[in-house]
Amino acid sequence: MLTDEQRAVYSRLADVLIPSAEGMPSASEADVPTKWINDALGYRPDLVPAFLQALEIGADGEAEAAVVRINSTDSVAFDALGVLTSGSYFLNPAVKELIGYPGQVPSPAYDDTATYIDMLAAVVERGPIFRPTVT
Amino acid sequence: MSNTHLIQRPLPEVVDVLVIGAGASGSVAVSELAQNGFSVACLEQGDWTPATEFAGDKPEWELVKQKKWHPNPNVRQGPSDYPINTDESDVNPLLYNGVGGSTILYAAHWCRMMPSDFQTRTLDDVGDDWPFTYEDLQPFYEEMERTMGVSGLGGDPAYPDEPSFPLPPLPLGKVGLKAAAGMDKLGWHWWPGANSIASKEIGHRPACLRYGACLTGCPAGAKASTDLTHWPDALEAGAHLVTGARVREITVDDKGLASGAVYIDRDGVEHTQKARIVVLAANGVGTPRLMLLSKSEQHPNGLANSTDLVGRRLMMHPYGAAVGTYEDELESWLGPAGQILHSMEFYETDKSRGFVRGAKWNLMPSGGPLGMRSGYGGRPVDESFGVNFHKNVKRVLGRSFEWGVIAEDLPDESNRVILDPELTDSDGIPAPKLLYKSSENTEKLIKWHVARAVEAHEAAGATSIETTELMRDCGWHLLGTAKMGNDPKTSVVNQWGAAHDCPNLIIIDGSVFATSSGMNPTATIMANALRSIRHLVENRATQPMSGE
Ligand SMILES: Cc1cc2nc3c(=O)[nH]c(=O)nc-3n(C[C@H](O)[C@H](O)[C@H](O)COP(=O)(O)OP(=O)(O)OC[C@H]3O[C@@H](n4cnc5c(N)ncnc54)[C@H](O)[C@@H]3O)c2cc1C
Repeated sequence: MLTDEQRAVYSRLADVLIPSAEGMPSASEADVPTKWINDALGYRPDLVPAFLQALEIGADGEAEAAVVRINSTDSVAFDALGVLTSGSYFLNPAVKELIGYPGQVPSPAYDDTATYIDMLAAVVERGPIFRPTVT
Repeated sequence: MSNTHLIQRPLPEVVDVLVIGAGASGSVAVSELAQNGFSVACLEQGDWTPATEFAGDKPEWELVKQKKWHPNPNVRQGPSDYPINTDESDVNPLLYNGVGGSTILYAAHWCRMMPSDFQTRTLDDVGDDWPFTYEDLQPFYEEMERTMGVSGLGGDPAYPDEPSFPLPPLPLGKVGLKAAAGMDKLGWHWWPGANSIASKEIGHRPACLRYGACLTGCPAGAKASTDLTHWPDALEAGAHLVTGARVREITVDDKGLASGAVYIDRDGVEHTQKARIVVLAANGVGTPRLMLLSKSEQHPNGLANSTDLVGRRLMMHPYGAAVGTYEDELESWLGPAGQILHSMEFYETDKSRGFVRGAKWNLMPSGGPLGMRSGYGGRPVDESFGVNFHKNVKRVLGRSFEWGVIAEDLPDESNRVILDPELTDSDGIPAPKLLYKSSENTEKLIKWHVARAVEAHEAAGATSIETTELMRDCGWHLLGTAKMGNDPKTSVVNQWGAAHDCPNLIIIDGSVFATSSGMNPTATIMANALRSIRHLVENRATQPMSGE
């Protein structure tokens, strides 16, 4: 689990990656640093060390410069920061709703052959396209 | 307590047939043999993977698929995985180790090979002819299509016959219709994809719920992985399955016949299982690895390897793709994933293109918002983040799909599986190493096909198109490393999978492919496994066996 200090650093970095724009909330407005990142770190324990490394590199200075510094000094740490931040953001149901993505919900298969059967007739008319066995 | 569990009943000291690997081909062998009264045991290094473990119906799906359910065992590093050295390979091998084998993660594109695939030497003067024809395999394809419950539509002019699939095709949806309209504008072939995914309830399986998560295991249980399609009935018929059993050597008797296998359980304890016949079904990497590990006085170069061909001619189907993004909302996260359509327009050789052979195209959806976002490092921050983060999601999510190109790679003896001199698995067994270079023919083939796939997107109205000409993580198909043929000097097994040097060793996985075709191989692997095992059953009276 993140310390208060790490969470404060992360919050600033996360908002550089995902700012409030285009009608969408920023990472912190979407509770990424306070809530969803905890879940994401639990799902991806393998990324925790690289994520913490990113926070360490990005601890000081202005947030935008810190993000650029992480990217240029440690690409593995930056990948972890990027995946976990975007992944956390999309865990938030309110974000999913805003982007029009229902998430991993069942959508039973149905038969839609009637919608394209006429188109297929043209494919059939174009004729066979295989080379037969040579005997 | 040991994790190695013997299902149902204790193992006999000697079984009629010992099958190594419980994946696509091993499952066919075990059920066929058990149902024909053979005593049969299967050694599988992995375990069962219950559908409840899959993440495809859970919010964390896109996060965990990049690790726990990654198809590359070197990334996944699960307890049943073995490492594979890929330092000298252009392509990473992808597979799964457990009951059901790689069908647990496969995309379930169900593709028969074409007649010409069996005759590349005769027709195109490259590769080798298979020792049998499309027509010889046809009835076995049909039977497997029924067993696997394949969904598809008959009448495809790309094939000489009209396969009548047991289930209707899965929905094309908005993605399929959009792509088909583009193909029609160009006058190019397309057809609803055949998939071993149930479009309606069949056997032990319910209908598809279109999670679009086929490649990370089907949470609905609708995809035909062989833990569902074969194992319940095989166990019922009396087959023995030992999970957590990692084989390190196939033993031989004093005549040089295969006499069983030595395996290590998950407590590190070594066991020997004796058998009259051994069937290898450990896939195109696992099988040559085991053969090379099994050196003996009678087989000093590795089991059945007097030709030095074991491990050579590795083919992995380099993959190219064009992803188009469209203005319309297409719900392109919906399954199947799975092939929505396929196209065989450019499958056959046309030498004027500057290369020989061809590729099947498959149309696939593009997943959720996270997609494969993992390689950001080193690229400018504002390419993927900042305001562009939101812009990209709005532009791409639900509005993009992929035409993928399965490129036929031709056999080359320098592309091979060897034993790594240092790297070992968790049991101390030498790991495989791959030496694999994509050829000039393949590179030209992919470049040309991807350029046509771009045209297909343009015709369908894409607003932007991104291409990949060789994806590194694309070694889904592991083929050719124990070639079949009639001549014992130039092949490892005969047309029934029996090793020329060791006639009671039957190899039934993708290792035996003489050429790779441009098709996803599992339909052919399973049909060929069935053909080989049927032959064994029918000829049991004359089949050489150990201990006779
Ligand atoms: C992500 C992915 C997507 C794919 N998509 C498609 C597709 O859409 N269509 C298609 O046709 N094909 C697809 N494939 C390929 C398909 O899964 C394989 O072709 C097929 O499963 C191979 O069957 P097999 O019997 O040769 O080996 P596998 O199914 O790989 O089974 C081999 C088994 O042997 C076991 N084994 C290996 N070594 C040992 C040992 N030493 N001791 C004990 N057990 C051992 C392994 O644990 C494994 O369970 C895909 C594969 C992957 C990974």
